[in-house]
Amino acid sequence: MLIPDTTQTVVAPASAPGPGAIAVVRLSGPGAFSVAKAFLEPRKAFDDPKPRSAYLLRAHEDGRLLDRTITLLYPSPKSYTGEQMVEIFCHGSPYIISRIVNLAIKHGAVEARPGEFTFRAFINGKLDLAQAEAVNDLILSESAAAHRAAITQIEGGVSKQIRKLRRRLITLLSELEVRLDDSYEELPALDLSSFREKTLLLARGIQVLADSFEKGRYLKHGIRAAIAGAPNCGKSSLLNSLLGYKRAIVAPSAGTTRDTIEEKLDVSGLSVIFTDTAGINRRTGNPVEKEGIKRTFKALKTSDLILWVQDAAKSAGAADRRVQKAIAANAQRGTAVLKVFNKSDLPPKRPPAEIAGGTSLSCKTGEGVETLKKLLAGERGRLFSAEASAVITSARHFQALLNARKELEKLKELESGKTFPFELAAEHLKGALGELAVILGETTSEELLADIFKNFCVGK
Amino acid sequence: MTFFSHPGDFDVIVVGGGHAGAEAALAASGLGMKTLLMTQDLDTIAQMSCNPSIGGIGKGQIVREIDALGGQMAKNTDCSALSVHMLNASRGPAVHSPRAQCDKKLYQFAMKRRLEAENNISLIQDEAVRIWTEGSRLKGVVTLRNTRYRSNCVILTTGTFLKGVIHIGLLSFKGGRYNHPPSDGLSPSLEELGFKLGRLKTGTPMRLNGRTIDFSRCAEQKPDDPPAPFSHFTASLENKLLPCWITHTGAGTAAIIRANLDKSPLYCGRIKSAGPRYCPSIEDKIVKFPHHPTHHLFLEPEGFETGEYYVNGLSTSLPEEVQTAVVRSVAGLEKAELVRAAYAIEYDYCLPQQLDYSLQAKIVPGLFMAGQINGTTGYEEAAAQGLMAGINAALKIKGLQPLILRRDEAYIGVMIDDLISKGIDEPYRIFTSRAEYRLLLRRDNADLRLMDYGLKLGLVSEKFKRPFKIYKDTVEKLKLIPQPSSLIPRFGEMAPWTVEKAELSAKTETDYAAYIARNNKEAEKLKKFEHVIIPPGLDFAALKGLLLESRQKLTKVRPTTLAQASRIPGVTPADMQLLWVHVERMGKRRGGVAI
Repeated sequence: MLIPDTTQTVVAPASAPGPGAIAVVRLSGPGAFSVAKAFLEPRKAFDDPKPRSAYLLRAHEDGRLLDRTITLLYPSPKSYTGEQMVEIFCHGSPYIISRIVNLAIKHGAVEARPGEFTFRAFINGKLDLAQAEAVNDLILSESAAAHRAAITQIEGGVSKQIRKLRRRLITLLSELEVRLDDSYEELPALDLSSFREKTLLLARGIQVLADSFEKGRYLKHGIRAAIAGAPNCGKSSLLNSLLGYKRAIVAPSAGTTRDTIEEKLDVSGLSVIFTDTAGINRRTGNPVEKEGIKRTFKALKTSDLILWVQDAAKSAGAADRRVQKAIAANAQRGTAVLKVFNKSDLPPKRPPAEIAGGTSLSCKTGEGVETLKKLLAGERGRLFSAEASAVITSARHFQALLNARKELEKLKELESGKTFPFELAAEHLKGALGELAVILGETTSEELLADIFKNFCVGK
Repeated sequence: MTFFSHPGDFDVIVVGGGHAGAEAALAASGLGMKTLLMTQDLDTIAQMSCNPSIGGIGKGQIVREIDALGGQMAKNTDCSALSVHMLNASRGPAVHSPRAQCDKKLYQFAMKRRLEAENNISLIQDEAVRIWTEGSRLKGVVTLRNTRYRSNCVILTTGTFLKGVIHIGLLSFKGGRYNHPPSDGLSPSLEELGFKLGRLKTGTPMRLNGRTIDFSRCAEQKPDDPPAPFSHFTASLENKLLPCWITHTGAGTAAIIRANLDKSPLYCGRIKSAGPRYCPSIEDKIVKFPHHPTHHLFLEPEGFETGEYYVNGLSTSLPEEVQTAVVRSVAGLEKAELVRAAYAIEYDYCLPQQLDYSLQAKIVPGLFMAGQINGTTGYEEAAAQGLMAGINAALKIKGLQPLILRRDEAYIGVMIDDLISKGIDEPYRIFTSRAEYRLLLRRDNADLRLMDYGLKLGLVSEKFKRPFKIYKDTVEKLKLIPQPSSLIPRFGEMAPWTVEKAELSAKTETDYAAYIARNNKEAEKLKKFEHVIIPPGLDFAALKGLLLESRQKLTKVRPTTLAQASRIPGVTPADMQLLWVHVERMGKRRGGVAI
């Protein structure tokens, strides 16, 4: 059972979902300023903010400009909720909104529950009785929606998966609890190595589910496709061809693209975020190009799909092999790779069998680009069926799973002592259970006892 | 029918003189109430109908809590102990649990003497057969001899007596305990008042004549040396302690039981009510855990002046001749003679969700219940409820707020909250795993947690106020500087507390510091909601937006605080928000203060 915790700072988009000109992301709680300060610049805006005044602030992610925002700062109690509040007006791209929300979460906020801002306003006495009537209807509708959402989830794959993990946790915990509560002293000693192994497996299971958050995100926000390849093979040209306009600067010289460029495109109903990357050049002395290459590696890592572009009019060279190596590492982790052979308008220098293994196209003439788009749309089926039954889509659930895994990791530290402290290990398992209970809204005590009595012969 | 009206008016009448009743009477009288303790038989005051032992895992902590609040159980145990063990001693200090075997007669006499010595307590041997009410107003009780006793409050501590039925094999007969008549009048009286009753089962093993036991075939279980006293106020135990003995069932035992299951009232369907899963009969153990080749048995002396032994672990309701065969299949008991047969007993209990947190019935103000009538099992659980009911009846009469212990404060708080919020479906026993904040609820800090209440109530003598304060300060100081040398000059002033005990508590708190902080933080979150009272008139069924299931659950339990509502299984965070808003709104309409 989770109780609203007003000591926490919450974040959520306040405007309607979907693209729009402007969107609002709201933060409320005692840490609203300090969370926002971690990614909005200049920071001095937060030093002595004028209540309800607008500031032009830059949102940064990993040192990169994400968006320019108009931000309103509300010191407590002069805000809607009565708490310290920040309202960030950003550009209305679902991508930017989700990045800002994620930034806030990364810096200590938690995702707000439906109706939570209004709820906080109410408990902080910001709404009088007359307003309360109206607000109550609002909250009613929101929590009815929350109920619906909860029911959908309870019937869905996520809950099934989490419930399975929870069962395993309870089984582990009951191994400890039964020994703490046994006065007949007839239970065999705990098999510590098997206990350890089960804990490890469970932690891995939790991690796998947490990892599905990335997939869950593209259910909401689209898949990420990186365009990679040797210098000057036409990556930026491909981006422009796909988009149908000249988004990236293209030039005949190698190393034109220094920074990764992102652009979103609707491909037959599938939202794809393309990232154009810098060519991987081994020996560049140019610090800017070096940084660009670093970002390329990062983009490859965070992609769901890699478009590997090769120049069909040139024989495979050392640069291609370097790219191949970089891609292979990601392919091993399950990232899909689509091979693209560019420059089909020129005489091919690659064996026809090799070209047949990919999509042959020409960014110059546009030939083959539609074929690639069709292939991309086909990827939808593959990616979405791979996520099968269980995908975490809520940042709150993601956070809970990560916390649960951390609790299990702490068990390891306890093993270093002379005796394994059951009562402390149980605290961490209960902590992990509590995290899963946040998702399921279930209490454990009775179930735990049932497990104990079912599996063990306990005396009084 | 003519009634004799007893001329004396009482503040509190306690019905039943068992472990709950004795504590209830002492607590009420200790708070200045004119108290009547009514029992069928004065010779069975504080009788240990089952195992003559106090404490155990979780239970030992409860006894320490009773003691810190000013109850009698721990002191009574210390003066009648015959064997003492610290259970879980090899584990962390949070789960160290004291347990003592007692001389069952000494225990009874000590408690009876204590009750008789109390100026505010009258004792009467009679049986309450009816709750006396006028309209919905409680007036007192009516007894078997047609006497009416008038009082402000009544505390029911009826144990296993309500419509008790005893089973030995396929033989069954009425009884509240072996050789004692049941109490058949109160159940219908309670039902008439609108209470919902249920039925539970428990049992006790056979007793053996020690002369016929071959102890050389058993393992000796020596008492702890030195033995730790139960009570905070006992310096050391004076009795010469005796050993207990350990033996085990064998393949023969299992075979005999399997061959005779058709004669077990549990297995042939004659007993339908739920028994405790954690205290299974031997037939249960054999059937449910066939892969266990043997089960431990503890042979425990019943007293200094008797040769009877209690066979801990051999509870059964099989027929007497099978019991003898079962006993004789055990190593060391080949020639053992049964002096008392094991039996099972079924009895009525009153669904505990019908009580509020002070253990007062919601539908009959002034009527309190404690012990097995609330569905619990165990002397310690009963005594704790008796104590709380006695305190709260007195506080009610004085027009003061009830004493309600939180889940992070005491096992007693955990137990009462569990009973009232969740109800029971088998006899309820405390376990350390029932406590969310186990590391806070330790044997070593029961005084630090609760004695201020005991002192404030006056159940702990004023003279301990100063020593306790010095003790508390010493623990705090030792947590900061583990070197006690600077504190030595004050040591003498804290008796009966000692510096060793202060060091133990301080060390435990320091060792657990990170975890205690975590427990405290969690508890703090809940505490906020303890103060949000749900108005008694709130119609949960009319709350729009709640799931039907949640509405039903809330209506059934009728939580009195938001914290309690949050602990009802199946109530979601969304329900809580909704409920909170409603409660706040109602509070404002009535001009109440918002949090």
